[in-house]
Amino acid sequence: MKAVSSDTASKPLRRVLLVGDTTLDPLGRLLERGSDAPSAICSAAPYGQIYQILLDGNHPAWSFQPDCLVAWTAPQFTLPSVGKLMRFEPATHEDALREAEQFADAVLQASHRVGLVLVPTWTLPSHERWIQTLTWRPGVGLANVIARANLVLAEKLAGRSNVVLLDTSFWQASLSRPAHDPRMYAVAKILYSQPFFEKAAAEMKSVMRGMLGQTKKVVVCDLDNTLWGGVVGDDGADAIKLGAPDPVGECFQAFQSALKGLRSRGVLLTICSKNDEQYALSVIEDHPAMVLRKNDFVGWRINWDDKAGNLMALAEELNLGLDSFVFLDDSPQERDQVRQMLPQVYTPDLPVSPSELAPFVLSLNCFETPGLGREDLERTDMYQAERGRKESLDLSGDVEAWLRSLQIQVRAVPLRHENLARATQLLNKTNQFNLSLRRLDEKSFWDWAAEPGNAAYVFHVSDRFGDFGLTGLASLSMQGTEARIVDFVMSCRVMGKRVEEALLGYTVGRAKAAGADCVQAPPVEGPRNAPAREFFATKFAAAGGPAIDPERVGVPSLVSVREEN
Amino acid sequence: MDEVISILNEIRPGQDFSGTDDFFARGVLDSLDLTALVSALESRYSVFMDVEEIVPDNFRNVEKIKAILAKHGVNPAA
Repeated sequence: MKAVSSDTASKPLRRVLLVGDTTLDPLGRLLERGSDAPSAICSAAPYGQIYQILLDGNHPAWSFQPDCLVAWTAPQFTLPSVGKLMRFEPATHEDALREAEQFADAVLQASHRVGLVLVPTWTLPSHERWIQTLTWRPGVGLANVIARANLVLAEKLAGRSNVVLLDTSFWQASLSRPAHDPRMYAVAKILYSQPFFEKAAAEMKSVMRGMLGQTKKVVVCDLDNTLWGGVVGDDGADAIKLGAPDPVGECFQAFQSALKGLRSRGVLLTICSKNDEQYALSVIEDHPAMVLRKNDFVGWRINWDDKAGNLMALAEELNLGLDSFVFLDDSPQERDQVRQMLPQVYTPDLPVSPSELAPFVLSLNCFETPGLGREDLERTDMYQAERGRKESLDLSGDVEAWLRSLQIQVRAVPLRHENLARATQLLNKTNQFNLSLRRLDEKSFWDWAAEPGNAAYVFHVSDRFGDFGLTGLASLSMQGTEARIVDFVMSCRVMGKRVEEALLGYTVGRAKAAGADCVQAPPVEGPRNAPAREFFATKFAAAGGPAIDPERVGVPSLVSVREEN
Repeated sequence: MDEVISILNEIRPGQDFSGTDDFFARGVLDSLDLTALVSALESRYSVFMDVEEIVPDNFRNVEKIKAILAKHGVNPAA
């Protein structure tokens, strides 16, 4: 089991083993020395021993005890038939594809020894022209066989959720310098150029963060000269630059489309702008060229207050940490203020040219995610429903009556393969309502729950305004008649609705049904999990815990819990 | 700060490059750093080092690095 203790949970360390058919040490250096999370220590195995290392768990390379494996090979070396085709020697595409399958099988075998495997796709050296007339011809061409070999990899590796195929053709296309450096190959068998390694390291770190749930969740946009060209308060809605036929207007519209794409994949959009709120909102709703409308944003602060304060208010309103925020503002002064006051907010410099805005946001690597589930795709709608709930509270004022009116329902389900991805995402991403801050990858969590005496449950929460999705998780470990709540995690989306009472009531009930006469819930102190610790403090038999007083636990009458086996 | 030293510091942060006459003998740089250094100098000064120039002797101290850059017509700021 690869658990990390709570003090390193926010800064996990990855032990990365690099295996390849050329020198990968420069990549190791970059992964180790780069300042972006997660920190890594690397070991580059001697090159050219790919199969020995992948297939043999006793190979000395494994004594490094990696939790991440990078298997980066060049097609012309690891697929001998591709090497032959490249040199116009006799070989068939079928031979090359068999070799690709063999490599994929070896990667799959090695994937059981580590939490994460990164496999860069195969690409030809950038100078390899071959015969352009023939290169895509089936059964003949070099480009054709490389593409098919990559598809073999994609299809064979898709079965393992801890194996990620990385798109080197995107890396190559995003560079202005060649990806391959024949001089360095001659000097030190380094096939790739330093800029290519830099790109690879940045992308690998991004995927690692995504797998650890360290991803940005909220984009805060300025309005004037960010979502549209010009200052709407001075120029008027008719004069702002947005949409065709003005090329600058086209650029801002493309930028909005890019942001809309983020919204559709589960990133929350908000506004922070110095403007008159009513006027700005009317422009957003009524301007014919706006791509983003009011219901694309889950919150806004449109006023004359300082932006750092507004960001803090938005974080509180959305119940999300500022370290999950990205702040996009054209003004260097505003960015500087936010950087100084709120260094945890990611505040990138925006390109000065409007034409660069959309490409900029489309190339951000801070939204990486191991999967796109229903919770991601419907996130904005869920937050919209939350606004409706809060507004209904404001009208009534009576919290108890309001909660009852919500008709909250909880569906409790055992951990299963089909909910494992979302459960692990919740476990790794939740910082506030998290009892023990245990971080596990999918395989480790599944294996742990399958051990005798262990059990894990997930909770789907809904109310009359909508579905919150899978937003709770609890796990138990039984030893004799003593049960321990190992994980107790709840999304901030359902905080403050007595749902935690219901989840704990259910969990303690399960422990009792399994024969427990004592339930413990040892809390782990983390920088931001006070909400969970404070909740459990009200449940302990003695101050500090960890034994739970059963008299203080129960499913509240305003929440209905349904069990599904 | 000397431009060359600041480039060296980007490759190997926290090492003292100013008073060292042989980076490789003293272990402040190794052969892998050499390839990173060549790449950094090339992108900073828009030069292209030929393969026979990429040997430790051309990069073993600040003076040597400035000499090879001068060969390519570059005089980095002191």
